[in-house]
Amino acid sequence: MKLSLIVALVGAGWLAAQSPKPSNPLGDAPAVAEAGRLLYNRSCTSCHGPDGGEGARGPALDFAGRRYFRVSEAAIFDVVKNGIAGTAMPASGLPDTDVWGIVAFVRNIRATASDLVVPGDERNGMAVFTGVGGCTKCHMIRGQGGVLGPDLSSIGAQASLNRLRDSLTKQRAIPNGYRPVTVTTLKGEVFRGVARNSDAFSLQLLDESGKLRLFEMSELRSAVFAKESLMPYGFDKTLNKTQFQDLLAMLSRQTRTKVKPTLQGENEVGR
Amino acid sequence: MRLRMMLAGACVTVSLAAQVTDRQLHEANSANWLTYNGSYDSRRHSALNQVSVSTVDTLVAKWVFHVPNATALQTVPIVLDGVMYVTQPNEIYAIDARTGRQIWDYHRVPARQKGPNRGVAIWRDKVYFTTPDAFLVALNAASGNVVWETKLAEASDGYWSPAAPMIVNGKVIAGSAPGDHGLNGFLDAYDATTGERLWRFNPIPKPGEPGSETWAGESWKAGGGNTWLTGSYDPELNLLYWGIGNPAPDFNGDVRKGDNLYTESVVALDPDTGRLKWYFQFTPHDVMDWDAVEVPVLVDAMYEGKPRKLMAHADRNGFYYLLDRVTGKFLHGTPFVKQLNWASGLTAAGRPILVPGVEPSLLGTKVCPAAIGAANWMSPAYSPETGLFYVVAQEGCGIANKSTETFRPGGFQYRATGDVEVRDDSWKVYVRALDLTTGKLKWEQERVGSTGFGGGLLSTAGGLLFSGELNGEFVALEAKTGKALWHFYTGQRITASPITYSVNGKQFVTIAAGSDIMSFGLLK
Repeated sequence: MKLSLIVALVGAGWLAAQSPKPSNPLGDAPAVAEAGRLLYNRSCTSCHGPDGGEGARGPALDFAGRRYFRVSEAAIFDVVKNGIAGTAMPASGLPDTDVWGIVAFVRNIRATASDLVVPGDERNGMAVFTGVGGCTKCHMIRGQGGVLGPDLSSIGAQASLNRLRDSLTKQRAIPNGYRPVTVTTLKGEVFRGVARNSDAFSLQLLDESGKLRLFEMSELRSAVFAKESLMPYGFDKTLNKTQFQDLLAMLSRQTRTKVKPTLQGENEVGR
Repeated sequence: MRLRMMLAGACVTVSLAAQVTDRQLHEANSANWLTYNGSYDSRRHSALNQVSVSTVDTLVAKWVFHVPNATALQTVPIVLDGVMYVTQPNEIYAIDARTGRQIWDYHRVPARQKGPNRGVAIWRDKVYFTTPDAFLVALNAASGNVVWETKLAEASDGYWSPAAPMIVNGKVIAGSAPGDHGLNGFLDAYDATTGERLWRFNPIPKPGEPGSETWAGESWKAGGGNTWLTGSYDPELNLLYWGIGNPAPDFNGDVRKGDNLYTESVVALDPDTGRLKWYFQFTPHDVMDWDAVEVPVLVDAMYEGKPRKLMAHADRNGFYYLLDRVTGKFLHGTPFVKQLNWASGLTAAGRPILVPGVEPSLLGTKVCPAAIGAANWMSPAYSPETGLFYVVAQEGCGIANKSTETFRPGGFQYRATGDVEVRDDSWKVYVRALDLTTGKLKWEQERVGSTGFGGGLLSTAGGLLFSGELNGEFVALEAKTGKALWHFYTGQRITASPITYSVNGKQFVTIAAGSDIMSFGLLK
């Protein structure tokens, strides 16, 4: 008994040593981040903008193209509580519990989807993906599905939850290598698909049947590029609420390859 | 919007993409380059003849594809219907073979840094390659999407896999490295559709198995015997031929008395079961790291008045061998380098007649060839039109030492020392043309200015032999005479073997040079 207690204690210590620290005492439930969003929108928007999206005087907090130094919970807590000396970022003056709430929200908007607890039934989400959602016509997860759109086997580890949600609900820019194109050859054959690559002299087409067709421009009568992505949107309207949430949850958990280290920026404060 | 709707409706999950069938692999259509050595028989001889002795003077660079962060590529491109696949460790690039433009790329994450990688295999709608972390990965050939991946072995033990896999009847044949770390190798077959392992051949037999008597004590446990280069296949005999690497520790055989089967051998396996049909050991009880993985070349030819199914093999130990590939019987052997002092010849059964004392020692002994060998991974070629076997031959010796070393698990070197190459005037590299059946030298061309092997060889029906030199010259030799007819200075060290293919009736010749893939075709 004594021995097993020691083993258990040692084990717990080892686990603690393995986890990111210090962690948010409020936990990682979605409700915490949502409560934090309300706190944030009460205190921070005059500089950073509503929902951290874009502000008049401070940087957007969820801009994918920006490199953030304060990534860990501890670093974000420090800056919200104490401010950044020598800049316009003030100490918030909020009680620690509220600061942790804001930390949960900021982490939430920056993290990859797989870092978050996204409520929903993964199995149902997969059923939506392969069924009513029609996603496997173009997308593949772990070898199952089509090839015309990007592989989503690691999308949870690559995209933020906001980006995932936006991809399903809004019209977005066409990712590199996926611009829809219709080509007509000099012989009059017509092929449709996505241009995996193209320049003034050649075009590498992945056609709608999943076959590569490679052209020199001199062999084409025309190549008409579409302005919109093939990716349908508005799934929040075409699916019911449960289906949509389950799909989102399933996608958030696709992490065959962990592309982004989750603890990037840990202990980096104040640069 | 209309286009989008149409396309979204039209996307289908069943790919109708260009696919390689077993038949194509068997017939090796010359427009494509479908396997590591161009065909199952590994002759590296193409029927394409647009680029020929009479037209090669108008051969010009058509495109260059730069492989980011590459240094010394060893990849052999695979080409199917105008799409080329090249690799470096952890990465695959699909390229438009006519223009050099990228179609897709795959990057394994996290990337364990270990190289080289020698290329992909292709079958149906997938490409396959192995990785520095000892996985076999199958990807959709049109998109680069990973379809499945299977662990070959534990990377943390020190295993990895550099060779291009081979597809035989729906199975992916994949091997292991390294042998210099005391890790016992394997050759595996995986279901090409599902990634499930179907069989494993262990080149180091376990106690009680045939061949285990050739390992003293428990030396078999850290015996080496890896499979780091692609082999050959005879569909008619349904036999797979694969070269097996060195025993470990490499340079001190005292702890592993015996012949150390099946290291330094070519093994003939039933590809359906992985069962050993026969073996031939080139260097019993090797102490010079002379891996016998050099490509076995399969040729049907007259031998002593009878049509025979032959295997030609230029071994790292300096001898050229001719075997009957039905039975494994030794037919003929002769040195293909002048500097060979460890054996005075071969017995009637093909066993080397050792020269006493010419082996690694505590103080150092001059052994020729050096450990790097008289031949190595750079592919040989055989032309049925000239009847000549072409090999990149290295003349040179090493001062070989041995020491005492203890095996440590986890991927540490277990070599018990090595050799110091004697880089005097005699250290030279040649392309040599040998008579297939006698092994007699017909011509040689020195790779002047090359300090090491460089790249391999490609023979074509245009009467040409393409040769990539370490000094950066890509050269076309007349296959009959060895006369240099064309050369192009790539500006980078060449350590890969050339290929050829055609798209829309135009022939291309391609080689990886340093960090670039370079493709050549006729001016008009």
